[in-house]
Amino acid sequence: MDSQTAFMRNIRQSLGLAPDTERPKRLFPALFAKADTALILQDIENRTTEQQNELVEILQANALALGVNISIAGSHDEAAAIVVDLVRTKNPEFTHTKHIVHHDHPDLATLQLWKRFSREGITVHTSFSADQQLREKTIASFIGITAADIGVADSATFIQLTQPGRPRSTSLVPSIHIAFLKKEHLVADLREAYALLREKERLDSFVFITGPSKTADIEAQMVHGAHGPREVHLIVLSPPPIEKDVRETQNLQHTEEQQPNS
Amino acid sequence: MSATTPSNYRTAATAGIASPRLQKSLHGLQNRFGKGAMEIWATMTDQEMRRRVKDARMNTFAHLDIILAELAKNVRTRGGQVHFAATAQDAIAYTLAVAKRHKVNRVVKGKSMTSMEINIDPVLEDAGIEVVETDLGEYIIQLAGDKPSHIIAPCIHLDRNQIGELFEEKLGIDYTNDPPTLTMAARRALREKMLTAEMGLTGCNLACAETGHISLVSNEGNIRMTTTMPPVLVALMGMERVVATLDEHREALQLLTQAAALQKLSTYVSFLGGPAAEDDPDGPKEFHLVIIDNGRSKILADPEFREVLACIRCGACLNICPVYGKIGGHAYNSPYCGPIGGVVTPLLDGINKHADLCKGETLCGACKDICPVENDLPRMLAALRHKLAYGSDLWNTSQHSPAEAYVYSFWKIVIGNPRFFRLMLRTGRFLQRPFVRKNKMVRKMLGFAGGWTKGRDLPPLARQTFAELWKEKYAATRPNPIEGQNEEGN
Ligand code: SF4
Repeated sequence: MDSQTAFMRNIRQSLGLAPDTERPKRLFPALFAKADTALILQDIENRTTEQQNELVEILQANALALGVNISIAGSHDEAAAIVVDLVRTKNPEFTHTKHIVHHDHPDLATLQLWKRFSREGITVHTSFSADQQLREKTIASFIGITAADIGVADSATFIQLTQPGRPRSTSLVPSIHIAFLKKEHLVADLREAYALLREKERLDSFVFITGPSKTADIEAQMVHGAHGPREVHLIVLSPPPIEKDVRETQNLQHTEEQQPNS
Repeated sequence: MSATTPSNYRTAATAGIASPRLQKSLHGLQNRFGKGAMEIWATMTDQEMRRRVKDARMNTFAHLDIILAELAKNVRTRGGQVHFAATAQDAIAYTLAVAKRHKVNRVVKGKSMTSMEINIDPVLEDAGIEVVETDLGEYIIQLAGDKPSHIIAPCIHLDRNQIGELFEEKLGIDYTNDPPTLTMAARRALREKMLTAEMGLTGCNLACAETGHISLVSNEGNIRMTTTMPPVLVALMGMERVVATLDEHREALQLLTQAAALQKLSTYVSFLGGPAAEDDPDGPKEFHLVIIDNGRSKILADPEFREVLACIRCGACLNICPVYGKIGGHAYNSPYCGPIGGVVTPLLDGINKHADLCKGETLCGACKDICPVENDLPRMLAALRHKLAYGSDLWNTSQHSPAEAYVYSFWKIVIGNPRFFRLMLRTGRFLQRPFVRKNKMVRKMLGFAGGWTKGRDLPPLARQTFAELWKEKYAATRPNPIEGQNEEGN
């Protein structure tokens, strides 16, 4: 603490204040005044399916522009099929064997990936906190699968909070990152995302991920796959299919069905 | 440290101008990122945002003791260790002690300007520790034994052929000048290093006091690797690199990624504020945050320069500066180059020592226009020149060129007195005759004035001044008699 005392003394002196008089934070309530996020949270809460689908469309456009492969899955089965296909068709970068690792997350558990490759030489790991060999398994894996806590449509970002069973390395060390995002976790912009983050009980380590790892350090030429995943696949779990015409007919049916009731 | 960089402003600038390769890269860079950032500012819907962020930054500085204390408290609550370092030596000693305590053999670095500022690498290396830069550009610079020449694009002065040769020599791969192949070679080499290093060393783009986090932006993912895989992490941050609240963080972050690379967000923004929690499956076991003064409190104390601390190191001012755009980054002889370097390098490292920097900039104002936090760099460059012209006890600055001061006090008398001025002109016209060459230009002046004609010709004094011409040709025909009278009076 000594280094701190001298340091703070020096700052107060530089500010023209009495160097030895500490300034307690409670005397400056405006400094850490919390922005009023009630309205923002309300907006997120009250978003209609229609609006959510609109956000998905915005996310889709922005993700494509960043080189993120985005697909919309109507069910967990559909999502699993996409993953299975990727695991089968993609090739490992650093090893010769196919290992994949996924977060210990209920949405990923429902995909039942462990039993989908029973007759192939593909090993599926789950990132359990207690697993002493997790680091090695993650390094050996060529695909990492995570479930995002928050998605941001405006910048095609997904936010991952580090939690038990959900390490940082799953979305980082494997060459290919597959991220799941539930439609209801999608928000419009960073302002909304920060409002949600503030509400989190435990805000420890977290990361914003926006597209695949990239560099332009050699003659400003963009290359994907500098140190992180060179490919990112985003699967949005959106229970009712959102292709436009289907949705419209659905909405129509919906209103027709509702009319007699109302 | 570097064999290829002349340390002198003039020689390095001359070398930069003479390099077609550098000129091409700088032109490309400015054309894309300089123009791009200006366009973002012009079309941004929230035109108040830049001002707001600046105001918040300045308000943070006015309460810096409180805000840093809050940051330290929140990091410590999470089990992180916070050290306040008054000087570079202090920060180095602390970091070295951490490394030694853990018997570290290899340190991987995520791009950190602060680590360059305090020049920690040689000390770690002397202690037998391998230090590896992980940002691709920085890695290339390190392999080449060179110095960075841009805040965001450190190896902009090297082309693909040079990098190909370098990799052939240092990484033992077959020669190629294909950027993707070169990148993959570095990816493999560095992955190995990052997975085996015992300690990570990073900077900090923006810390958030309210939540007790540091945050780091990167596109490559090297910072995530550096902050995730090694068991010990040390983050070095300049004491001004902090915001009070999450809300302020968001706005500053958005300005940073847009100004630096025209991105809504960089690929990764990592937030961390302590070691991995008990039940976290990965992350560093030990987390150290080193908050560094190293001359910043002196800047804080001077209202004339405090504003420069608001800088978020986006590098945008380099992407528009006409001087940087020609001479490149090496001439600035500092990790901080371009207009921001022209102000902050002298303030941190000696105004006299870096006298050329503020004199070299043109004060055109472009850096102020592009700066996301509207830093008035031209004003501060002029203020530095003032210190050099008159000396300053506060900044321990001596008058840079007494001869120049004499010339200007003489000049002040001359232009204050029309008759004297005209006499000077006549004398000048007479004296310049032997120097005017066939192309009607003055090629070379004598002695003290010789510097003016070293790199350029000077037009000679005209045979008649504008005032004389006017009087002769038009004064009589001016319709307004009153103004005509004034002319006579002149
Ligand atoms: S002075 Fe402004 S433009 Fe230059 S690096 Fe700092 S924030 Fe960016």
